[in-house]
Amino acid sequence: MQTFIQLGATTLQIGAVYVLFSLGLTLIFGVMRIVNFVHGHIFAVAALVVAYLLPILVGGGLAAPAAYVVASACGIAVSLALGAIIYLFGFRYFQRDLVGSFILSIGLVLLLDGVLLHVFGGAVRGVPEIFPGSVNIAGAQITVQRLFLCGVAFLMAGILYWTLGHTKLGRALRAVAYDHEAAMMMGVPYARIAFFGFLIASLLAAIAGALIAPVSIVSPVIGTDYLIKGFIAVIIGGLGSVPGAILGSLFVALVETLGGYYFDSSYAAIAIFALVIVVLLFRPKGMMGRA
Amino acid sequence: MLKSTSTISWLVFAGAALLLSLLLQDLYLRSVLNLIAISALLAVSLRFVMLMGELNFAIAAFVGIGAYAAGYMSTAMEVPFWLAILIAGIGTGIVSAAFGAVTLRAKGPYFLLIGFAFTEAIRVAYSKVPALGGTSGMVGIFPPIAMDPWMPFFVMATVIVLLLIFFILERSDFGRVLFAIREKEEVARSVGINTFIYKIATIAFACFAAGIAGGLHAFVNNVISPGDFSYLMAAFALAYVKVGGEDHFFGPILGAIFLVSLSAYSLGFGGDEHFIYGGAIVLVVLLLPKGAVGAIANMRPKKAHVKGGGHAALEQ
Repeated sequence: MQTFIQLGATTLQIGAVYVLFSLGLTLIFGVMRIVNFVHGHIFAVAALVVAYLLPILVGGGLAAPAAYVVASACGIAVSLALGAIIYLFGFRYFQRDLVGSFILSIGLVLLLDGVLLHVFGGAVRGVPEIFPGSVNIAGAQITVQRLFLCGVAFLMAGILYWTLGHTKLGRALRAVAYDHEAAMMMGVPYARIAFFGFLIASLLAAIAGALIAPVSIVSPVIGTDYLIKGFIAVIIGGLGSVPGAILGSLFVALVETLGGYYFDSSYAAIAIFALVIVVLLFRPKGMMGRA
Repeated sequence: MLKSTSTISWLVFAGAALLLSLLLQDLYLRSVLNLIAISALLAVSLRFVMLMGELNFAIAAFVGIGAYAAGYMSTAMEVPFWLAILIAGIGTGIVSAAFGAVTLRAKGPYFLLIGFAFTEAIRVAYSKVPALGGTSGMVGIFPPIAMDPWMPFFVMATVIVLLLIFFILERSDFGRVLFAIREKEEVARSVGINTFIYKIATIAFACFAAGIAGGLHAFVNNVISPGDFSYLMAAFALAYVKVGGEDHFFGPILGAIFLVSLSAYSLGFGGDEHFIYGGAIVLVVLLLPKGAVGAIANMRPKKAHVKGGGHAALEQ
């Protein structure tokens, strides 16, 4: 029983970041029909900026939590600026063009790989502990940092869910995802809504990056791993589906946790792929996908 | 089947390429030429699947399967090297047909992303098999010593034969069915074409070529490791297709020649491969959406469309 609670807690911790990450992917796909491989780099930039600034700020005499908040704000701002530039000068011209936008995103991935390696160097960075200590919940040991991560991630997912359901912007996003031409005829400003959708998705990725920095080792290639898992999560859940992304992320995290506990963690990558194939055999559009 | 002008241009280009592969003596230049030939084959294979409207991102995994199969047969079973490459290609084609039979039920973004996931899963799988050398990979994959001076010629000749088959397939009825599948699969089905079989055959042949490319890669490099076959290999192949121009058969080949030469040249100055490829893709996608071949074709005065409107309708 103890083991199950601990495994469940681990699943939620890993899954929390996947949820944030894949919500962005599914939002961008839903609104713009774009497969955005740059998402991993927007995530990585935020994590890298936090890992870069934090030791400097702490060294300058700031308390660790305050330094973390400042560094995170900077990281998220840099990532959002990057997202805005990428949208305005690139993806804006490739909406609903699956192949074209994908090729552009691959080009940007390679380009940013080169840039990040230049700016931050290839070395992995460790980030000092922000919130020390751990708590005991129903017999499972969870560090306070991880608990904080989970809390923020699920809070953000909740806010997004509420925004999509209850605000004017959310309704516009859903209308555009459902049928963008009909939405435009109803007076939804598609170009502006798509831009907002892209920024919200980038914001989610940036928050995920800032959250992961203190609990993981940060390197310029950190995004690729999350990109693979995030896309698998949205394939399982159904591209464009918000509940699908959440469900798929938790599913992937569960397989990874169980695989890592009972076998070797690298077998989890193969197990997850097998899972995708099984899902596709029965539901070619994912569990929550629309035909 | 081939028109006389294309026969002549094929003879000229193939002859020049083969002559170059025989004349080059510098070891570094020979390795660059091998890399260009293998890259061109991958790019054309990727474009062949694009003819039916799908992006085969699993191509990197199939190159890896071919390379590992050829390497294992050569080092552990002492199969003659040309036979090892051939069996590796055929084996890869069979595996890809099974892969296609499952994944081609999905389309577009799903197919693309499954290929991406497959590539990464297979890469983890190699590193788990001790017989394949684990994470550090396989070493000592050599062609016979007598073959060594002829290797660039052998690679080039193999690649040219496969390119010619791709070319003939594209110009044949098979190619027309692929165009039909891309434009409107339902219409192709409505006239009694079993599009699913065509799609699997397309993947199988494209990946047969990818497997051969992998076998050649193994014997040219002598060393292979799981890191060689990441999704970046597919991304690079996509760069060749896009920079050269995807509307024309020779586009990807030109793209491979240009980008591989450029990166080999700039590596001498400490240039970064990712940066060059990424920059080239972004610039071309934003500025020359039809690639280099498309840009050249645009500069020429437009000829009247005599050869029927069919082709014009296919260009979007």
